[in-house]
Amino acid sequence: MEKILHKERIDDWISALTGWEVLSPALEDGIWAYRPVSGAVRLDHPNTTQPPKGLAFPQREVFFSFEQIKGEAPRLTQILPDTVQRAVFGVRPCDGRGAVRMDRVFGDHVEDTYYQARRKNVAYVGLACNQPPSANCFCLSVGGSPVSTDGLDVLLTDLGDRYFVAAVTETGKALMTAANSLFDEPADADRQQLKSVHTEALAQPQRAVHNPDAVPAKLKASFKSPLWEELARACIGCGICTFLCPTCHCFDINDEVTGSAPLKGNRVRTWDNCQFPDFTMHTSGHNPRPTVGARLRQRVCHKFQYFPENFGMPQCTGCGRCISECPVGIDIVSVVNKVVEHAG
Amino acid sequence: MPDNIYLPELARITYIKEEVAGERSIKTFRVEPVNGDSFEHECGQCAMLSIFGRGEMMISIASSPLVKDYKQFSIMRVGRVSAAFHDLAVGDVVGIRGPYGNSFPVDDWRGKNLYFIGGGCGLAPIWPVITTAVAQRDSFKNITVFYGGRSPRDIMYKAELEKLRGVADVHLSVDKAEDGWDAYCGFVPANVMDKEPSSDNAIAITCGPPIMIKYVIQNLRSLGFADEQIYTTLENKMKCGLGKCGRCNVGKDYVCVKGPVYSWAELKELPEEY
Amino acid sequence: MINVRDIRDAARDLLAKGEVRAVIGYRRGSRGMAAEPVVITAPEQADELVWDPTCFHNLALYLVEDRKFLAHSRKAPGAPIAIIAKGCDARAIVVLMQEHYFKREEVYIIGVSCEGVGVLDERKLAGHVPGTPTDAAFEGDDFVFTTPEGEKRLPAREVMADRCLECRAPFPKEHNVVFGEDKTGRELAAPFAALARFEEQGATERWDFWRRQFERCIRCFACRSVCPMCYCDECVVDSITFPVAPETTADEKANRIRWIERSAVRSENITYHMTRAMHLAGRCIDCGECERVCPVNIPLRLLNNKMEREARERFGYEPGASIGAASLVASFNDSDPGSFIR
Repeated sequence: MEKILHKERIDDWISALTGWEVLSPALEDGIWAYRPVSGAVRLDHPNTTQPPKGLAFPQREVFFSFEQIKGEAPRLTQILPDTVQRAVFGVRPCDGRGAVRMDRVFGDHVEDTYYQARRKNVAYVGLACNQPPSANCFCLSVGGSPVSTDGLDVLLTDLGDRYFVAAVTETGKALMTAANSLFDEPADADRQQLKSVHTEALAQPQRAVHNPDAVPAKLKASFKSPLWEELARACIGCGICTFLCPTCHCFDINDEVTGSAPLKGNRVRTWDNCQFPDFTMHTSGHNPRPTVGARLRQRVCHKFQYFPENFGMPQCTGCGRCISECPVGIDIVSVVNKVVEHAG
Repeated sequence: MPDNIYLPELARITYIKEEVAGERSIKTFRVEPVNGDSFEHECGQCAMLSIFGRGEMMISIASSPLVKDYKQFSIMRVGRVSAAFHDLAVGDVVGIRGPYGNSFPVDDWRGKNLYFIGGGCGLAPIWPVITTAVAQRDSFKNITVFYGGRSPRDIMYKAELEKLRGVADVHLSVDKAEDGWDAYCGFVPANVMDKEPSSDNAIAITCGPPIMIKYVIQNLRSLGFADEQIYTTLENKMKCGLGKCGRCNVGKDYVCVKGPVYSWAELKELPEEY
Repeated sequence: MINVRDIRDAARDLLAKGEVRAVIGYRRGSRGMAAEPVVITAPEQADELVWDPTCFHNLALYLVEDRKFLAHSRKAPGAPIAIIAKGCDARAIVVLMQEHYFKREEVYIIGVSCEGVGVLDERKLAGHVPGTPTDAAFEGDDFVFTTPEGEKRLPAREVMADRCLECRAPFPKEHNVVFGEDKTGRELAAPFAALARFEEQGATERWDFWRRQFERCIRCFACRSVCPMCYCDECVVDSITFPVAPETTADEKANRIRWIERSAVRSENITYHMTRAMHLAGRCIDCGECERVCPVNIPLRLLNNKMEREARERFGYEPGASIGAASLVASFNDSDPGSFIR
């Protein structure tokens, strides 16, 4: 399904989505974030500081609560996510591709109860990147594109005073059908313009991973390279790169006690981070990844070697957040290029 | 798999035995499901045990899959959850979910000589294989168990090991000589070299401290064991058991899914990061 | 006006003569115009060093890292380590010496004066220059940016970090060698100006403000990780990163109290940030790095400035002013006000 939507009608479209909570990028406290729509929506954002992954994989979620009177068996009450349907407007194609990767992690092997429950209620209305939204974009190096529809339900392309609206999934069609009368049929001129806008978008200069196909093998050969410690020399071991990543999925599970007699609390999942030293530390104190170099290697190899080996695609979608936001300039594109170059 | 993969079943502790005393003591626990039936497991698989309010820990199941009434775990008191486990009493209720990971290919080993080589609490993960093989004694040729502890007081499953004699060759050892100890004195890998097991139609299964495993494998190789004839188990910090929480990977493998059981042929292909 | 060649010459010379084993400095990064920290160990690497308005980082952090590495690997330090330090960075080094983290003779301070300016606040730059600049340079009271559309000159004050505008000591008093003029006394903005503006609001508005700020924290711990004063091996927010060694007993691990849960929720976030602010009282030298690195833009400087101003007004204490001075929280004077005890 392909339609034309005049820009001034986007608010009417959103209003017509009864039964959906709609989110769109908003500049709040100096950062771009997805917020429930209140007022007019203008999709002129760069990219949000955080991807929309938290909608299906929130930074904190309670699995179940427990209660135990001393001497008795514990009582568990599972807490499942709400069933609110959420549509996110303005998702960049890299973040749509991030969702594809998260879906594989949480859907393959065994389905993750909580992720799946949330994910099936989330729809992504994407926005093609006519211009790279960041100076550190490199989606073309990781199999993506500024006009990719992967993981999206709808793709909007900005044609000046109107959007070219293309449904990608059945959910996307339903979102459009809900406001059928607002859309126009695309004319030949619209299709022509779409084509040229997409062609121009694809030709925009980006950062680049050199010879991306060779990367997994080169990384594999470089596991023991001393370069890792050198490249990680400035790393401060914070969690910015992974907490802002559209594909990082690592988590921790802890019990949070809220009362002692009777014992009460929650078992809670929170995001965790391979760049924190205690991430892999055994109870004995032994740590398989004891240094910043080993932890940088894990982050890079997970995205560019292990994930491709397991799922046939890089885990990185080239959004560039980890580069732009790193406090000390650790740059995954440059790291990959240097390791590959060094591997000869 | 249950509807909610993170929701543990409740299980009651029906048996506790202190195997090893001291600061890093080891206790054996048997648990039975509170609500009747529970999951089945295979040799080498693990389960996530919970004490609510304390958290979860991944422990290998030490009982044979042939035992249906209970599951056995031998747990060293080493951290937050294991210390809390050691404070429990018979009748207390804990959480359990699983089974996780792959298993020893025991069925492929029928008709072979089996060598089990354990150190410290590393006897527990291979114990289900030993007891399964003994229960199906006729399916296997010679069964030999090497096992060692730092001192006679660090030997776990003492009575059970004694009971094995007659159906299996048992070679115990302690690291340092001590009065009253008349078996081998020295490290486990040396005890193996001393007895010179033959690699002919054999499988060696080893588990223990990393340094022990390293030298056991080295020694087995020098005795002519091929990489495919040597099996061990890995451990790593784990939170989910399902290949999702992202921390137990060695290279592309999540140990909780692709492991913990590896042949040396498989393991040596992984990056040395464990 | 500092010529970067002088800094390079000094670094090269120190390394060539073996007077230092490494120089911690800045080099051109691979993303855009921003400089990045680097540790050079060979004289020929000195040419990599840069000095420009994107040298935001407080490199004293890497002195701490170096010390931790040496302690961990049980290596003797040998020759001193050199560091390029702005006024604020040098104050951080002084605090670390006050706290006996290392000795004066173990560090060779290559001071650089910020003269009449300071470092850039990248967030302020949006809208001021076209496209993404590839280079930034000091030029008197201006910054000059290289952009896709040519050079663009801006008065530094328009895009400088608040911390630099408010800086009272833009010259590294503690140094072995120093480049640039001492312009201490320049008044670009009143000290604590941002804090004073903030405090014009009532208590309710301030509380609402902080509730919103802390709601947003994602607990990436970049503020803690980037801070040279946050050197504790054992941090109150971590339940398990306290130094676990083979000899750490099960009881120590089991009985570890979780003061702060991992959940990034407001109550836990506030406890974290308040604890950190208290721990920095009289130690924070206002390099502003915590605020710069925060990916969700929490104005952490306001918190630390508040503590700094309290120390100054109530106790006449300036952190990082003198190596010999006792630290604020480890000393008392008979004349200290007791009014905080109520």
